Amino acid sequence: MKKILCALAIVALIAVSPVFAGGQQEKEDGPITITFWTHEDPNRTEIEERYIAEFEASHPNITVERVTQSSTKIQELVLTAFAANQGPDIFNMSIEDEYAYIVNGRVAPVDAEAAGYSSTSSLVGSYLEGSLDPVTLDGKVYGLPLELTNWSLYINKKVFKDAGLNPDTDYPKTWEEVAEVSEKLVIRDGDIVTRRGFDFRYPYYLVSMVPMVEQLGGQLISDDGKKAIVGDEAWLSFLEYMQMWGPNGNNLGSPTYKNARKLFNKDNNDIAMAMTGLYQQGRIRADNQEFYDSGEWMVVPFPVFENAVNDTAACYYGHYYMVNGQKSAAQQKASWEFIGYMLSHGEEYLKTVNIIQPTTELLESETYKNMPYSDVFSADMERGHVVYFGEESAKLQELIKGAVESVMLSGVAPQKALATLRAEAQELLDDM
Amino acid sequence: MQLVQSLKTPIRSLKTAQITWQKALIWFLLILLTIFTLTPILYMFTASAMPAKDIMKMPYRWVPKGFEYENFVKAIKGNDGSFIFLRNILNSLIVAVTCAVTTVLLSAITGYGLAKFRFKGRNLLFMMIMATMMIPFEAIMIPLYMVVTKLGIQNSYTGLILPFLVNAFGIFMMRQYLVTFPTEFLDAARVDGMSEPGIFTKIVFPNCKPAIATLAILAFRAQWDNLLWPLLVAQSENMKTVPLYIVKFTTEMNTDEGAMMAVAAIASIPMFVLFFSLSNYFISGTAVFSSRKG
Amino acid sequence: MRQKTKTKSIEKHLSHWGITFVLPSIVFFSLFNFYPILNALYTSFFKKKVLSLAAPEFVGLKNYIYLLTSANFWNSIRATAVFTIGTFLPLLLASLIFAVFITSIKRGNKFYQMAFYSPAVLSSVVSAAIWLLIFDPRGLGNQWVNNLLGTHGTDHNWLADAMMVQLSTMIVYFWKYIGYFIIIFIAGLASIPKSLYEAARIDGTSGWQEFWRITLPLLKPTIVLVSIMSMLQCLKTFGIQYLFTQSGAPQDPINVITMNIYNTGIRDHRIGRASAMSIILFIIMLVFTWIQFKSSKSDEVEY
Repeated sequence: MKKILCALAIVALIAVSPVFAGGQQEKEDGPITITFWTHEDPNRTEIEERYIAEFEASHPNITVERVTQSSTKIQELVLTAFAANQGPDIFNMSIEDEYAYIVNGRVAPVDAEAAGYSSTSSLVGSYLEGSLDPVTLDGKVYGLPLELTNWSLYINKKVFKDAGLNPDTDYPKTWEEVAEVSEKLVIRDGDIVTRRGFDFRYPYYLVSMVPMVEQLGGQLISDDGKKAIVGDEAWLSFLEYMQMWGPNGNNLGSPTYKNARKLFNKDNNDIAMAMTGLYQQGRIRADNQEFYDSGEWMVVPFPVFENAVNDTAACYYGHYYMVNGQKSAAQQKASWEFIGYMLSHGEEYLKTVNIIQPTTELLESETYKNMPYSDVFSADMERGHVVYFGEESAKLQELIKGAVESVMLSGVAPQKALATLRAEAQELLDDM
Repeated sequence: MQLVQSLKTPIRSLKTAQITWQKALIWFLLILLTIFTLTPILYMFTASAMPAKDIMKMPYRWVPKGFEYENFVKAIKGNDGSFIFLRNILNSLIVAVTCAVTTVLLSAITGYGLAKFRFKGRNLLFMMIMATMMIPFEAIMIPLYMVVTKLGIQNSYTGLILPFLVNAFGIFMMRQYLVTFPTEFLDAARVDGMSEPGIFTKIVFPNCKPAIATLAILAFRAQWDNLLWPLLVAQSENMKTVPLYIVKFTTEMNTDEGAMMAVAAIASIPMFVLFFSLSNYFISGTAVFSSRKG
Repeated sequence: MRQKTKTKSIEKHLSHWGITFVLPSIVFFSLFNFYPILNALYTSFFKKKVLSLAAPEFVGLKNYIYLLTSANFWNSIRATAVFTIGTFLPLLLASLIFAVFITSIKRGNKFYQMAFYSPAVLSSVVSAAIWLLIFDPRGLGNQWVNNLLGTHGTDHNWLADAMMVQLSTMIVYFWKYIGYFIIIFIAGLASIPKSLYEAARIDGTSGWQEFWRITLPLLKPTIVLVSIMSMLQCLKTFGIQYLFTQSGAPQDPINVITMNIYNTGIRDHRIGRASAMSIILFIIMLVFTWIQFKSSKSDEVEY
């Protein structure tokens, strides 16, 4: 018996040991292949494939392999690839997911010259102030933004008129009004909501809901970074608001209804207001040109609670291109050259994909200023701040999600949900 | 005599009444379960022929007004118009068929070794193989991925197939099947001077047919269904499998329910074809598989 | 004496062949199952972050102690237990009963087998996509239940309510696997010699008695097989819970252990703690299977 066990262990070791000896060595000279993982976006694929062709033509020794992944799965794929020391050369994700790569030293600092800038300071200077802060650690910049996005409120004017409201004057400015207006807009069949007034962006609690708490004077993490979930009153009123919103309260919607931003473009008279970014315009145009041209939609600022102490809009978040620090110097340099080349087409990204690269040049361009409602988004960005990012941000978001769901759906009292949330968030913070 | 006869008749009719009542109940329950199992499938097929806004209408209209072929065009073309779905179907077929074949071969030979030979530690080995059924895949996902990347076979058919060459359940099934295989046949063949591999290929394996069919279908289905592993290993579009395409397709922004159901329907068709064409063999096959003792 | 040595050498010869036949699978399992689980066991004693390049810190049993005192992990154990009991028992009972029904009817039994098995043909991603539409507030789920109960317009919150979402996952699982187990039971029933029933009929045994005295005891090996398989399947359940939560269902009620492992390891990067969780789950499954094996071995029936 024991012999067999030993034999098995030996077999296992023998089978595995050669496999784990030594990593791969890349040659410094000669042809270079760069793998580039990004999330699925048909509009971007079209232009980026063209950039790759152009870039390869001007850099004959470099080949770029662009791989697209589903936007909800790319976090897991990049993570497991890095865990096995087989990460791609270039990748991009949302900053909350990328931050851990910087902290753990997995990504290389920007090679400003390769990316087409004379120096790091000129690079920093060409971007909107503060937009590179999330990727700056100890004075080094670790990523270049593909997009910086914030969300405001899209309104379907037809639905407002259908409910006897005047969209230009009756649109909600406060969260209280969002609830009131929604009550007027909602159509129910019994308890089942068939037309919703407004829908939250449920999975994105850090971007869209933490600001609501901040309006009331609460905080996710205290300024010194030691205390989690600050300000009982603010968190309680926020949770009570969500409880009121849910099926056990006024029944205005719930997280299991279909995403509003997907329905919004269809203009099927089933959603009046959706929270989303400037990029939605490109998607409305692609899905429903007629609705896009009709002028029956508009964008209004992120609402604020009536008794707000802070005027905060939705957080903005960024996607940053990053380069794998485990690759050879030549590969890293080639990667930054390629990223620099792609990002030199800011206006085309804005026009075809409706995403904003936060360079001062682009934000001051006519193209940006002429985009419908870009002023609303700019103003909201001034009012907002960057989303909370940290090694534990995904887990923190999960905890807030749990708290909101428990009051909205499971009938847990807000006090109790808050106590649970605080205890778990604090434990997480202490364990960092 | 007549009296006896007349006494008997009501008893008999009472009994038959009871039997028909029982039968009715059985039929009722069978039909109920049929409705339960088939409705969602029917729903998928009907919804795939409808525009999105009809699918979410209350009450649901079971007969589509027309045939919304748009859904199928969208499903096959994909949102980027690359027709990669067809390649993904091919990949799934390659992986699932290969795994089915290797599972059958390796299970049969291992099951035979465990059932018909005595050697030290045989039972322990069997137990250890059985214990792998208790390993949740999520638990070994990352170490397994490291093995595969070190072998340099990520993003390839080999990488998709290798971890699923055989499984504990297949070995278990073949062993159980072969335990009752008459040893006299084997001994007779040995006396005739047949080699051990010859005995396996000429006598044992051909006699496993019913179990093989069942096992092959199970292994095929498991791979056709596999989501988590291909998700990690298949990185480029042309290595991806059907479940990955479905996940990608459904999470994209502008996918509507109709096209989603069309993708689901197309993805299900190969399995249904296989199932219907082999069903005779499969259903009667399993019956044969267990009636060996009778 | 000579005879003895001869049989001995034959035995040795045969045992060599036995090992040869088993060897390919052993190499396979070593590389793709034993090594990874040993690796997980090793990792479970460390505080390890997935992305960290620094050497992980050895923490002994701290991960286990943490888990066994964590409300979150106990919730996962509860969720897994509820799901397993709520799925595995109905599945076992229903598949047995329906298998007996199908074998008792003369016509249409092939049709029923195929009808019941068809959900198992669909992949789990497809099943989840279908059921998510059915469980939509405007979907078939509400429509049918409301028609049946005469409660027009009630939203049963299939995915939203904490209790209902657990029931919903069970329904999907039951739907998908019922046919699979029915077919295994039918095969088991077919293996019972017809002569036994004939003998019983001559003795004047009724249908029920037949079931209790002949069918059930002789079906025991199949019952053990099905119960172990369905229990292991239930304990390992992941896909449906994962896809439901991705579509907005609350996580806590259906946060089964496998999902917790996945989230802790992949989303939160805590691979050490996730490994400890997987080892605990592994042990739980091992113990349950062992109990079932033992309890079935004690009174095995021969015929």
